Amino acid sequence: MRLTSLLTTLARRGRILLALGGLALLTGCNLDFWTMKGHQSTIAVDGPVAKSQLGVFLVTCWVTLVIFIIVGSVLAYATYKFRARSEADEQAVPPEQGHGNPLIELGLIGASVLALVIIAVPTLKSITYTADVPAEEKANAYEVNAYGYQWWFKFEYPAEQITGAGQLVSANELVIPAGRPVHINLRGMDVIHSFWVPKLAGKVDMIPNRGNFLWLKADAPGYFWGQCAEYCGDSHAVMRFRVIALGPKDFNNWLNAQTAPAREAAKVAATDQPKAQFAAYRTDWKRNEQGWSPQFELNPFESWKAHQEPDAKHEDAALIAKGRALFQSKTCFSCHVIRGHMVGGSGAYPDLTHVGARTTIAAGLLENTPEQLARWISHPDVVKPGNKMYVNGYLANNIKLTPDDVSALVAYLSSLK
Amino acid sequence: MEATAKSHFTGKEEHAPAKPSFAFWRPTAKTGLMSWLTTVDHKKIGFLYGSFALFFFLVGGCEALLIRLQLIVPNNTLLTAPQYNTMFTMHGTTMIFLAVMPLGAAFFNFIMPLQIGARDVAFPRLNAFSLWTFVAGAIILNVGWFLPDGPPDASWVGYAPLTSKLYNPTHATDFWILGLQLLGVASIAAALNFIVTIINLRAPGMTMMRLPVFTWMTLITSFLIILSFPAITIALVEVMFDRQFGTNFFEVSNGGMPILWQHLFWIFGHPEVYILILPAMGIVSEILPTFARKPLFGYPIVVFSGASIGFLGFTVWSHHMFTTGMGTVATAAFSLATMTIAVPTGVKIFNWIGTLWGGHLKMRTPMMFALGFIWMFMIGGFSGVMHSAAPADAQQQDSYFVVAHFHYVLIGGSIFALLGGIHYWFPLMFGRRVSEFWGKLSFWVIFVGFNVTFFPMHFLGLNGMPRRTFTYDGNMGWNVGNMIATIGALILGTGIAIYFAVVIYTYLKGEKAGRDTWDARTLEWSVPTNPPPEYNFAVIPTVHARDAFWYEKHHQAEIAQEKAAHHQAEAAHGGIHMPFQSIYPLVASIGALIGAFGAIYHNLIVALIGGTFLFIGVYLWSLEGAEGYHLHPDEEGHDADPAAKH
Repeated sequence: MRLTSLLTTLARRGRILLALGGLALLTGCNLDFWTMKGHQSTIAVDGPVAKSQLGVFLVTCWVTLVIFIIVGSVLAYATYKFRARSEADEQAVPPEQGHGNPLIELGLIGASVLALVIIAVPTLKSITYTADVPAEEKANAYEVNAYGYQWWFKFEYPAEQITGAGQLVSANELVIPAGRPVHINLRGMDVIHSFWVPKLAGKVDMIPNRGNFLWLKADAPGYFWGQCAEYCGDSHAVMRFRVIALGPKDFNNWLNAQTAPAREAAKVAATDQPKAQFAAYRTDWKRNEQGWSPQFELNPFESWKAHQEPDAKHEDAALIAKGRALFQSKTCFSCHVIRGHMVGGSGAYPDLTHVGARTTIAAGLLENTPEQLARWISHPDVVKPGNKMYVNGYLANNIKLTPDDVSALVAYLSSLK
Repeated sequence: MEATAKSHFTGKEEHAPAKPSFAFWRPTAKTGLMSWLTTVDHKKIGFLYGSFALFFFLVGGCEALLIRLQLIVPNNTLLTAPQYNTMFTMHGTTMIFLAVMPLGAAFFNFIMPLQIGARDVAFPRLNAFSLWTFVAGAIILNVGWFLPDGPPDASWVGYAPLTSKLYNPTHATDFWILGLQLLGVASIAAALNFIVTIINLRAPGMTMMRLPVFTWMTLITSFLIILSFPAITIALVEVMFDRQFGTNFFEVSNGGMPILWQHLFWIFGHPEVYILILPAMGIVSEILPTFARKPLFGYPIVVFSGASIGFLGFTVWSHHMFTTGMGTVATAAFSLATMTIAVPTGVKIFNWIGTLWGGHLKMRTPMMFALGFIWMFMIGGFSGVMHSAAPADAQQQDSYFVVAHFHYVLIGGSIFALLGGIHYWFPLMFGRRVSEFWGKLSFWVIFVGFNVTFFPMHFLGLNGMPRRTFTYDGNMGWNVGNMIATIGALILGTGIAIYFAVVIYTYLKGEKAGRDTWDARTLEWSVPTNPPPEYNFAVIPTVHARDAFWYEKHHQAEIAQEKAAHHQAEAAHGGIHMPFQSIYPLVASIGALIGAFGAIYHNLIVALIGGTFLFIGVYLWSLEGAEGYHLHPDEEGHDADPAAKH
């Protein structure tokens, strides 16, 4: 009995302190948890659509918090005030057998309705605002098409027509003009996916046979994380992408670079021979091991810019040429387009014409470094369970890559800035 | 009133068949395996429902722990991607269809007939059929664990076209389809049974507005089941046809519409949410008045708000689809409709607080769970209001914020109430009561573990962590939240383990509880013995007030007189009529099980064998008749003449 009362006292008095203390201890060293300013934060946002959605969330948050405090206080008070304090109390004559009070009940219903109106008004406003590009900005809007495949994203730029090759196509990294509304047409090409760049806009699903769209705007140039938000099979968790917003000049430069055919490797002077880096690839990657470097994290946007510049000084033209030949002989070209280098490929697979200029590979999963590229093409099945390149490519065509093949392919792909 | 108090079967024995043939042999075993397999007693069936539900609750819990262990650190490799996807699919499906729903059904079965003063449900053999078909569905759903195809892995919502043959070529998805189909049959049959029981078998004087709130919630839940399950039945038939016969309901290349699945699924799925929570609200509405020692505050409004929630539950399904591009008008309409549900839900919370106000609160274990329910359900309700604002939901949909929300309403809500209900009715069901110390200890460990697990998920979701992901990178700001959540899950698991240990110990060796151990208010506590005798009431009670048993206790002389008169009348009509047991519901369910396997493997012979069994079971069941035997207990429930059976 003594143990019982001790425990209940402890539980009553200490539980909140204990819980809070435990949380504080665990999180003390790392404020990320509380501030919620991660790469996919819906709180620290960078565009008007996400801001509008955040605004609605904050209204609902404050209204419900106030109600919670009021109702919770009454509940806590009632529990404390009216609890039986002793055996005798429990045996006492039962309290008055009251059945309720209609006036109080109707009053509370009225109050709840009022509270909901406070939430409903900004909700309706935001529904209209976030639905489509506002009329006054329509003329300035930039249009792109986004397609979801198991497990990567394809982006088309209908405004950028390339002679003889149709519109500009890219994969997994969407580059948009900053400060301009962007209207994105969304379509799922196999199962349902969802397009979500939390810092710019809430998600809209990419559904087969259904023409969805969303709009977003990046207030300033920047580098943003996105991820598929609808469960779409084995590798749903690693179906990611990036959005890069650029100022007008940078955006134009980027378009010019992208609409050009694939880059030819530089003829390198004998004095500037390549670094002997390819021999040192790690091969002991664990499943799910992180594929980005801390340096990249320091300034992803700068990192993206650096990726646009060819490292002409250190290119090994012979190795690149070997990689280019392998890309054909290993049948890679039958799926992947490398515009200007070889004829082949299809729109249903990632376009690799400028893959070297992307910061990530394997749909936003790995940083685009030679080492990660080697990891990816050596064991695509381990990096991305169930992926089609492995099943329909490697397995179906019985493709085996030696370490030398991998080095050559990596050199070739990395040169495609 | 006099007339309705009489047995419904008076005089029947004169027409009993002379000598039953082999096919109409009626099992009579009262103990042993056969007694359980052929039972038609609502209490035994309720007990079986509860046992299966708790078993699957533990299975689903283990799946949840594996999910949390995989996510304890970024880039973890405990489970592979397909294993993880299987875990969350089975965790969701198991908890909803095999744990919470049947646990609710266990209480409907055991408690509801007692609350309305009935001796059984309206269709005892249909009740047995529901139970065994539920078991068959549970077997189908889980059989993949033991077969090479593996268990289902297309998530509990099974969005087309991920469930199509193209993207899910193995039989895993067929297990899911046929398993849910059988569970639907079981649920609809049970729900019809409860509706007929509540409408027809109420004791004299038990008007609709005197029904205990738990019975009201049983009635509303049953209506939700019969109205919502047909939608998923159709959807499942369509996806089954797509897979087995090459139809094109969801087949995109031939013009099918995947969005159709979502509409059909959520027209079922949203009422399903209320199917899970309304029984819990009913249980809490029973526990609070008992331990506050005063009637429920605003009974008519609590009942009406329950009905409104049930009705509005059919008007808001598309709030699960705010991100599917429905257009502004539909989005706004479903957004506002969803907000209106907050009103009847809020009303319930106000009335529960009103019930506490001015009471003498006895802080027993069931009361702790009921109070925990109110707090947790408030938090879950408020995050629900946040989702109802469609623009906010565009960020929260399919993120961990949603995971936090529905676990607050399903664990903090449904499970807390169901666990509290077990403690509350344990003395009635088994004649023993759980030690207060251990009961409260398990409550606090569960309470703390639950909050440590799920509160951080709000932060994770707002920080952009999507659900149903088997791994995440360490640079997203999700590490701490996931670590805390997993530690919380282990605490929660410990709490559940304590809870189960305590319940099992109490069942075997617990302190004996007297009759009406909580000084309760409703009729189930007026049965002559704990556990109740097979005939429940020696004399069908006459109801004079809303809290019928409370009234009886405070008007003892009047009630005693009345009971004596009714007892005489009933004895004059040949005693208490009890239905015979029957084997045929089980035969029919086994037929359904075999037939489901035939459908899964597209094997006509097996399907025909199953169909034959099902047909034979139902045919003989309908021919064997509703005969029974009679018991003659005295007013206090002592068996006056044990041999007097017809």
